[in-house]
Amino acid sequence: MKHLVLASLFAGAMALPAMADYTIIAPANPGGGWDQTARTMQSVLQEEGISKSVQVQNVPGAGGTIGLAQFASQNKGNPDALIVGGYVMVGAILTNKAPVTLKDVTPIARLTGEYEAVVVPAASDIKDIKGLIDALKANPGAVSWAGGSAGGTDHIAVGMIAKAADVDPTKINYIAYSGGGEALAAILGNQVTAGVSSLGEFEAQVKAGTLRLLAVSAPERIEGVDAPTLKEAGLNINLQNWRMVAAAPGLSDEQKAKITGDIEKMAKSEAWKKQLADKGWMDTFLAGPAFDEQLAKDEADTAVILKDIGLVK
Amino acid sequence: MSAFDFLMQGLVTAADPMMLLYALIGVTLGTAVGVLPGIGPALTVALLLPVTYRLDAAGSLIMFAGIYYGGMYGGSTTSILLNTPGESASIITALEGNKMARKGRGGPALATAAIGSFVAGLIATLLLAFLAPTIVKVALVFGPREYFALMMLAFVTVSAAFGDSALRGLTSLFLGLALACVGIDQLTGQARLSFGQPELLDGIEVTTMAVAMFAIGEALAIAGARNQHDDSVLAVKGSVWMNRQDWARSWKPWLRGTLIGFPIGAMPAGGAEIGTFLSYAAEKKLTKHPEEFGNGAIEGVAGPEAANNASAAGTLVPLLTLGLPTSATAAIMLAGFQQFGLQPGPLLFATNPTLVWGLIASLLIANAMLLVLNLPLIGLWVKLLRVPKPWLYAGILLFATLGTIGANPSTFELGMLLGFGVLGYVMRLYGYPIAPIVVGLILGPMAEQQLRRALSISQGDWTYLASSPIAATLLALAALALIVPLILRARGKGEVLAQLAGDED
Amino acid sequence: MSQSPDTGGRRDLAALIIAAFLAVVAGVMLWDSARLADLGGYSGVGPATIPRVVAICLLGLAGWTAVAALRGDFPERPAQNPAPVLWIVAGLALQMLLLHFAGFSVATGILFACTARAFGKTNLAMTLPIGIVVSFLVWVVFSQLLMLHLPAGPLEHLIFAKG
Repeated sequence: MKHLVLASLFAGAMALPAMADYTIIAPANPGGGWDQTARTMQSVLQEEGISKSVQVQNVPGAGGTIGLAQFASQNKGNPDALIVGGYVMVGAILTNKAPVTLKDVTPIARLTGEYEAVVVPAASDIKDIKGLIDALKANPGAVSWAGGSAGGTDHIAVGMIAKAADVDPTKINYIAYSGGGEALAAILGNQVTAGVSSLGEFEAQVKAGTLRLLAVSAPERIEGVDAPTLKEAGLNINLQNWRMVAAAPGLSDEQKAKITGDIEKMAKSEAWKKQLADKGWMDTFLAGPAFDEQLAKDEADTAVILKDIGLVK
Repeated sequence: MSAFDFLMQGLVTAADPMMLLYALIGVTLGTAVGVLPGIGPALTVALLLPVTYRLDAAGSLIMFAGIYYGGMYGGSTTSILLNTPGESASIITALEGNKMARKGRGGPALATAAIGSFVAGLIATLLLAFLAPTIVKVALVFGPREYFALMMLAFVTVSAAFGDSALRGLTSLFLGLALACVGIDQLTGQARLSFGQPELLDGIEVTTMAVAMFAIGEALAIAGARNQHDDSVLAVKGSVWMNRQDWARSWKPWLRGTLIGFPIGAMPAGGAEIGTFLSYAAEKKLTKHPEEFGNGAIEGVAGPEAANNASAAGTLVPLLTLGLPTSATAAIMLAGFQQFGLQPGPLLFATNPTLVWGLIASLLIANAMLLVLNLPLIGLWVKLLRVPKPWLYAGILLFATLGTIGANPSTFELGMLLGFGVLGYVMRLYGYPIAPIVVGLILGPMAEQQLRRALSISQGDWTYLASSPIAATLLALAALALIVPLILRARGKGEVLAQLAGDED
Repeated sequence: MSQSPDTGGRRDLAALIIAAFLAVVAGVMLWDSARLADLGGYSGVGPATIPRVVAICLLGLAGWTAVAALRGDFPERPAQNPAPVLWIVAGLALQMLLLHFAGFSVATGILFACTARAFGKTNLAMTLPIGIVVSFLVWVVFSQLLMLHLPAGPLEHLIFAKG
């Protein structure tokens, strides 16, 4: 009886119409990139009047796969639920053998992205990317690379570099740190040979002359960044660490179109552009079939390289 | 303009009555949220940051500084009064602070924590202002081998908090180390001791563990005690203020705590809790009243609290000079700074002096405001102990679970809270100290990762671990700290020491 | 949760159970580390090494505990009342199970009432409503003013229809 009362109350509450407010899941702890993306979306969506009240919920764990699994199972058909994610999730799903993948949600759009940068300390003997590759070929163990956690974008970038330079990717001496910040400290302190992380992590140090930027993982040179691409150095690599927003599984086409419209409106707003500029994030907005295609390609490439490094069997 | 002029200008701006009001609001909010068990400074700052967005740059900066210091300080109040530290840096405060509170000396304990926090905050903020670029250079010298040596020193010295039985202290520590192995191994991405449970992949959350072991374990132990109506807790005995002797015994620990906490906070992989561990160990070694340690020694509150606050300011060193957020709180602060158009990095002091010095002035004002707010409140806080137990503990459990639910509303996390709460109760019952298990959980992964990183860099050469002067010195200190008490014990003095160390339940 | 602490035999038994528990933990760790791939790379210390070291130390501690138990070295334990402890454990368990169904206020209100019961406020008809009201106020402050996500249930939806 009690259950019945509760259930009918519950149903009554759910049936109320005014539920057009988004809840955004940030599948990470407060402070990280996904959390900040979610909270920035929250403030812009509210500021621009796209959504009246937006809540951000942190569901941290395992490269976002825990948040993703919870999101997919609890929100089937819910047009108000969003989740933030990114390239790191693609790798984490593979290394953790996660049962819920990006196929179980409805990816909406890529929002921002950062290219990877290869740096050495200013005091290093290595002057350019060729010098680093030569050292790697001579003795892969003697070249220690600092970057983010194992299997993340930075690790994948190093694996790709080794593979493109015909060095066995399992032989790289990759030193995983808990984040770009800690890795940066190790590079600045001359603890390691080289460092790989998002360009934004290094930019201020490069400008101050304490780090030497050797190359970036963009398809062509980035405006205002004085470094060649890895492609120019003969290494065919195009790697972007992107962040995206996805909606719940099981949505109708109209629902999906409405969410895509809202997100597009947000991404085109001045407030969003200002936030990106403040935070130093690059606007790499991509939606619709073009994004789906990009996602599928990234998933396939990542599966191959993680196998090569030896992290996925 | 010289640095001093900038600072003065900042202070003048911040001394505006409206600004002082913002600072007061920030400190009040920060303390109010931070004081709840289970809600640490990171969550406090994350929750309250949006409040500051509605003000202009100067106003939001000063309110933000208030929230930060308020959130840092708030945790110590409940640690002392209720033995419920909501974050790892307050655990040590609870050890002696709660013993003092139970003897009716909660007032002096809170006062020494508040004044110690103020003194440490003041000194550390000034060090930050004038020495940050130098300090960060020293901090960067610390690589994996130096950190590993520092962790070894911390492990050895923390054993001072192990209580009277080496067996039970070590058992508690190694249980913590075992729990520390749970989750994805950061260096290779392999899942350890996760048994296919996705919730375990990220390891065991230290906050959950600390709240469970202390807040819930404590509630269970007190509920289970057969003679619970015979109340052994005295709300107030003597003055709520510090007497002459309290002052005399506090000021040196404040300074020592500051000197220990600040550099460790400035190290990119240091962490606030390690400073509190080392400070506690130092005070225990140096005290003239060793018999009081474990029974409510004021030095054991004064030192670690100062270290905690100094390391909070120390965290700002890599954040401002390198753009490196070295803790969750710092990462959220970075987001806050960016809101004000402040882009941390090596050029910050040169390109954006007004904002930086405005921030530093704000920190100084907020620090003073914290003292202004909290000293008069101490009389009120100790009355908390007079709240009838049913309501007091019902409230503690409400807020302890609120913190866990707010951070991660999963059934699994609440299950861990319950499981570790029961473990904490059983450990109390059988005389196992609680601090080492949490210490093991915190230090274990750090030590393991730094060891493996160092060995990766040296390609398996173990001599690398002691091949730098700093690492060698730290390892030698750790060895001394381990061996000297053993020799003393062997010569018969140890029995006295062990008895004096007292029991810790 | 032993009830009569002073007889030597019982004390030993409890301590022996602790020793066995430690040995089991060590065994689980050794078993788990055996299936990890050896990815030590250049360091020579792989993901399985540290768990093995910790497990071996735990085995040693288990042995030490067993010896101490047989020699009766464990301290006396204070007398315990199991009922209040079980009330709190039940409260926490109920909160955990009901949280996502009944919402924060009701689930936490139950915990509140159970805890008050454990400390001697036996009248649940009084403590339960108080607990729910207090929890609801906390929910309002944190989820509406501070935008902290706390699970909402029927009660929360009823009053804040917009969620």
